[in-house]
Amino acid sequence: MSLEPQELDELKSKIGRVPTSTELEIVAAQWSEHCSYKSSKMHLKMLPMTGPLVINEKGYDSGVLDVGGGYVVTAHIESHNHPSAVEPYGGAATGVGGVVRDILSAGTRPIAIFDGLRFGNIEKDKQARWLFKNAVKGIADYGNCLGIPTIGGEVEFDDCYQNYALVDVACVGFGRKDKLIKNHAKKGDVVVLLGGSTGRDGIGGSQFASDSLESEDRSAVQIPDPFIEKLIIEAILEARTQKLIHAMKDLGGGGLSCAVSEIADTLDIGIEMDVNKVHTRENDMHPNEIMVSESQERMLIVTSKVKLKKLQKICEKFRIGCSVIGSVTFDNKVHVKKGNKTFANLSADIIANATLLDLPSKKPSYLKTITHEKKLKPITDYSKMMMKFLSAPNIASKIWVYSQYDHEVGIRTVVKPGGDASVLRLDNGKFLSVKIDGNPKQCYINPREGAIGCFEEACRNVVCTGAKPVGMLDHLQFGSPKDPEIFWTFLESLKGLTDFAKDFGIPCIGGKVSLYNETPAGSIKPTPLIGVLGLIDKKPLVPQKIIDGDCLVIVGDTKDELGGSEYFEYIHKFIGGNCPTVNFKESKKNMNAVLDIISKQIIKSAHDCSKGGLAVAVSELCMTSNIGCNVSLDMVPGEKLSFDRILFSESHSRYLLTVEKKNISKLEKILKKYKVSFKNIGEFGGEKIRFNHNNTSVINLRVDKAHKTWINSLRDLVLHG
Amino acid sequence: MATFDVHVTIENKPGISDPEGETILNDLVLRGLHKSVTKIKTAKMLKFTITEKDKKTAHSKVQKICDDLRIYNPMVSIVTVDVFDA
Repeated sequence: MSLEPQELDELKSKIGRVPTSTELEIVAAQWSEHCSYKSSKMHLKMLPMTGPLVINEKGYDSGVLDVGGGYVVTAHIESHNHPSAVEPYGGAATGVGGVVRDILSAGTRPIAIFDGLRFGNIEKDKQARWLFKNAVKGIADYGNCLGIPTIGGEVEFDDCYQNYALVDVACVGFGRKDKLIKNHAKKGDVVVLLGGSTGRDGIGGSQFASDSLESEDRSAVQIPDPFIEKLIIEAILEARTQKLIHAMKDLGGGGLSCAVSEIADTLDIGIEMDVNKVHTRENDMHPNEIMVSESQERMLIVTSKVKLKKLQKICEKFRIGCSVIGSVTFDNKVHVKKGNKTFANLSADIIANATLLDLPSKKPSYLKTITHEKKLKPITDYSKMMMKFLSAPNIASKIWVYSQYDHEVGIRTVVKPGGDASVLRLDNGKFLSVKIDGNPKQCYINPREGAIGCFEEACRNVVCTGAKPVGMLDHLQFGSPKDPEIFWTFLESLKGLTDFAKDFGIPCIGGKVSLYNETPAGSIKPTPLIGVLGLIDKKPLVPQKIIDGDCLVIVGDTKDELGGSEYFEYIHKFIGGNCPTVNFKESKKNMNAVLDIISKQIIKSAHDCSKGGLAVAVSELCMTSNIGCNVSLDMVPGEKLSFDRILFSESHSRYLLTVEKKNISKLEKILKKYKVSFKNIGEFGGEKIRFNHNNTSVINLRVDKAHKTWINSLRDLVLHG
Repeated sequence: MATFDVHVTIENKPGISDPEGETILNDLVLRGLHKSVTKIKTAKMLKFTITEKDKKTAHSKVQKICDDLRIYNPMVSIVTVDVFDA
């Protein structure tokens, strides 16, 4: 129960009487931060939500993009942070389930899952290892059982997530435009609850997600059942094709009470329902429990009495539960009964619309000195340091994670995970490229520039496959909004994202806000996570193997921007410095140049330069093609810097292009035309990764040894500590 | 000192769904028309063999091991410890 005293007074004055206990439960669930977005909603409006491809319909839980040829792509992002922090396997799995149902509720088939995971320091902390291992397993088991490929994501570790977990799941769907559900309802329509039975699991989950995670307050976990989810997917899609669904909503946070009140409010209808009709797991459940239970794998459907028979037949065929729990009325009220006895009778718009808050914000004091750099300890052997760096959990290959996911089921996956963005084949001949990115280390140092950086990085990743960014998903994860300093970081990030989205014409098609992410050690760092969807009209760039004699060309300037870099934080244990910033003009120019080059098919691969800087990006190219490279750091365009800064700066808008020697002049000609900053900085060949500066070798590694360390270290760390 | 067999049963808390048990009930047992069965719950069992001075100590020792090493997640599961003479 988390209605605050003034909210209770407000409710009383709005309804003119004392609310019943069921009404209190319903309102508390719906007015929780998790369901109502009361702290953030007023500000989220600044994001651009429309664009030439965006289809806006009422009541969708996911964003819809028209990708041509009569097809649409849907996308949504969700998190399951609080549940995953206490039960990583079930929490992560049910997170996947929830976002999959959001995609389904628009009437589209889920075709790919992405996950962004964040944990504490797994090198030191056993609990973090346990959370990591089981969250990955939960996602893998659930996604694999559904037959939906998990094709991308990211994993990051930072001390600020001690004893905590951020589990973000995005899902992409695909379908025909003419089969989209157009949410509507007529008087006399029936309300059907379809799917798993309602039990006592996850009671109060949405309120739990909106309260800080105190150690003793750990309850409300949900148990995943992917097989029921799979049956629901197939049953719903069949019902959609037969046009049996008038309106649909998935049951997520807040359970029945939120689904019923939101659908009633959106469609401007009333719903009268009887809790006795809900199929429950136990016999003795109280109406309050039934209304707020967050049992998984359930959907709410509005259909007509005539179509109901057919719907029931489909449910029978797939053997999933289907109860008619109520009917549509026209008094705009949510009327909850048990038999003939009324337990709640409230206006839908009162329940569904919590009073929005305009919280105070204040620039955090830590930011005053954060850019001051400390004196770095000298490093005597950079080759040795680089080997350690390649095994750092944030730099090491994430193959241990994505090899547990089936990333090919459904045979759409053209570019598999492990590189920049993954690419899916669509039925209209086009390709969809998707990537999610976050960077809390940079967002902590500069919430605005850090958030813009995540957005640009996700764009860079899809651009590297030849895709033009067409839509964005944002997931804003912060600590308690009641702390004005934290709320300031939220607003700064949001403003940054808005500016970038408007300037680049990339609409926000969906998103989520997760607040109150507090650990026993304090708030998490600001962690906005950005997903970008890109569209390829003709042919994606599938990276080709690099061979002897191929050239390495860098596009974009390297600047003195090491704040929040892995080099500062992992090697020098220093949090601070200058956060990389994105120059919009330069960024756009570089993006357009790279897209043009890819469309002309003259390069072998394009790779973005981000975490770990140039040194890591070049090493990744070498290691995946098992070939050496000679890189001249003096040639790298940008500010005049010491060689370690050139190697490890995480400046944005940079791309590494690999090209056959015979194509180099063609490439240079195009790059010159776009007036971008670029240089041919090296040549591939041999067995050594070599970085040279002023004619001296500063890093010299055997590629096979580097590869072995990079590919195995994360697995070894998780399995053997 | 004596040797005891200690059985540790780990199962979902009552009221939490048990998809595996429900599947076995609905798709195997009831399909075989054993209509008198009304419920099946799955569980995991660990069998310890332990040498302690008495049954009570064996019980508390094993319970402590399970709690300390996070053999189960108390958020989701309950454990039952049964001690037998070996």
